[in-house]
Amino acid sequence: MTFATYNSTRLSFWSRLTSDRLPFTVALSFLIVAMAIAWSLAPGLFTSHDPVNGVPAHKLLGPSLQYWFGTDHLGRDLYTRVVYGTASSVSSALIAVLIGVFAGGLIGLLSGFLGGWVDTTLARLVDVLLAIPKFLLAVIVVTAIGFDTTNAAIATGVSAVAVFARVMRSEVIKTRQATFVEAAYLAGGSRWHILWRHVLPNASRSVLPLAVLHFGDSILVIASLAFLGYGDPPPASDWGLLISIGKDYLKWPWLVYAPAFVTIATVLSVNRISRWLRKTD
Amino acid sequence: MNSAYRAYAAKRLFQAVVVILLAYVLTFVVVSILPGDPITNVLRNPQSGFSEEEIAEIIAAQGLDRPVLVQLWSSLSAFLTGDLGISMRSHRPVATLIGEVLPSTLILAASGLLVALVLAVVIAYGTRFLPKRYGQGLLRGFPSLFLSVPNFVIGLVLIHIFGFQLGIFRVIEPDSFWATFFAAIALGIPISAQIAEVLIANLDHEADQEYAAVARSRGLSKARLFARHLLKPSSLPVVTVIALTIGELLGGSLITETVFGRTGIGSLVQRSVSTQDLPVLQAVVSLAAVVFVVVNLIADLVYPLLDPRVKLLGTPQRRPVTADDNSSGIPTAVTS
Repeated sequence: MTFATYNSTRLSFWSRLTSDRLPFTVALSFLIVAMAIAWSLAPGLFTSHDPVNGVPAHKLLGPSLQYWFGTDHLGRDLYTRVVYGTASSVSSALIAVLIGVFAGGLIGLLSGFLGGWVDTTLARLVDVLLAIPKFLLAVIVVTAIGFDTTNAAIATGVSAVAVFARVMRSEVIKTRQATFVEAAYLAGGSRWHILWRHVLPNASRSVLPLAVLHFGDSILVIASLAFLGYGDPPPASDWGLLISIGKDYLKWPWLVYAPAFVTIATVLSVNRISRWLRKTD
Repeated sequence: MNSAYRAYAAKRLFQAVVVILLAYVLTFVVVSILPGDPITNVLRNPQSGFSEEEIAEIIAAQGLDRPVLVQLWSSLSAFLTGDLGISMRSHRPVATLIGEVLPSTLILAASGLLVALVLAVVIAYGTRFLPKRYGQGLLRGFPSLFLSVPNFVIGLVLIHIFGFQLGIFRVIEPDSFWATFFAAIALGIPISAQIAEVLIANLDHEADQEYAAVARSRGLSKARLFARHLLKPSSLPVVTVIALTIGELLGGSLITETVFGRTGIGSLVQRSVSTQDLPVLQAVVSLAAVVFVVVNLIADLVYPLLDPRVKLLGTPQRRPVTADDNSSGIPTAVTS
């Protein structure tokens, strides 16, 4: 019965992935995300140009075979800058999601499982976090802890805690009332054993698609913070920062369109994967 | 207006007040305690360029030499009586600073919301009536696409196409009609996606109901079915979603104002962030929380009156309601 769900979930994820009924758009999305991960792990493999020092004679050139995305006002290859900026844009989004999942998950788990005054207290905290507009919360947190990309990621993670806490709480409450949990109690299982072995694994199932969705969302929020200048300063090349620099050179529109296209393609792929995970679950 | 409703309203009102107070405290903690000592961080920062006398004056004026809890208490009680404090930079009352820029942001946010609503209804209508071969599936993908585009990119693309290429508006006149119009589009598009998603999901749900099948079997045309029967029950949950997007309207206008060069709450926040003007930040963030809480309170209080199917919780037979729990047949809003 429901006992088997925990083990079969992981199996089914891989069988889902390798089944031949994988929709085309989902396959493409995985490809794009894999590409972004490869860019962030080994940017040097994908380009032979220098991301920081340009060729001044080649400034503001349009896209060509030599410079795929054109060059910027210092003669730097824009494609190279985008590739090198991937690491901080993507890994910072990962940090943000991890903070959201762990802090939010813990709050939701405790609040849903223990109930009582713990639940009431934590629920108020979550309400408060939800009441402050997400982006504004990220802005004041990053103001408080200082402007750089890691701090922007932490701020983004903090602003996502409430959503994860809410979903986790409702899932825990749902799971706690399941027959197999009652059976585990009757079989003499301790509270923590049941929490750890039965409630947590089953409740976290629906957190996975949400985490993937928030990964895309975090890329956008971090790009917005970088766009406003709250991330690492140049010569860093976070995607949001590249777009922000490009906006002063709208006569050479590829400086905005190329990094924007990469951002949108990545986030769109992440969202598509999240939707597919939710649907096939 | 039965007693259950009155109890529910009283409870929600109490919760709202508690949340507003706690939001103020949380903001205070983040803004003035986390960075350590604001005096050394902000005032003595060589970049700020304050002289020692000025620093002493500001410390005295803001009461920064008092214990943190005393500061919190006096600032919170001032906030409750409508006193938002004095800016550390311009030495003018924060309420005046906010009052100067508020109309511009309200215009932008209201027109952004209008754009979002129109777009959402058009998309939802399209997904029901566009034949499959004319791109119904594509239209269903729109909300997902809109949610994947950073709104500063939408703004920049609009400026590039309509400002520079077509010359419809001039970037140096950010308050002109067309500049505001395109700023509202940039702000409204990502928000329309959230509204459209809920609207489409509810339309699908309502179309599967028996009453819709009955109406269809009586020979009602598709357009009539949509307008007379499906739209009303499907748009009720949208009330809740609109209330929830208020926060995003505020956050989004921060970016949109920067992109379009408008003066507003967003530019005020940006200026205060770069000069570390803590009283202004504290006031703006807590007011944003107040707006969010009040709007959501109104939505929650109005909702049971709009939809008689909604049963009020909080009675002894309460059972947990989850985001995806739709077994009761009552559409619930997505809270994320």
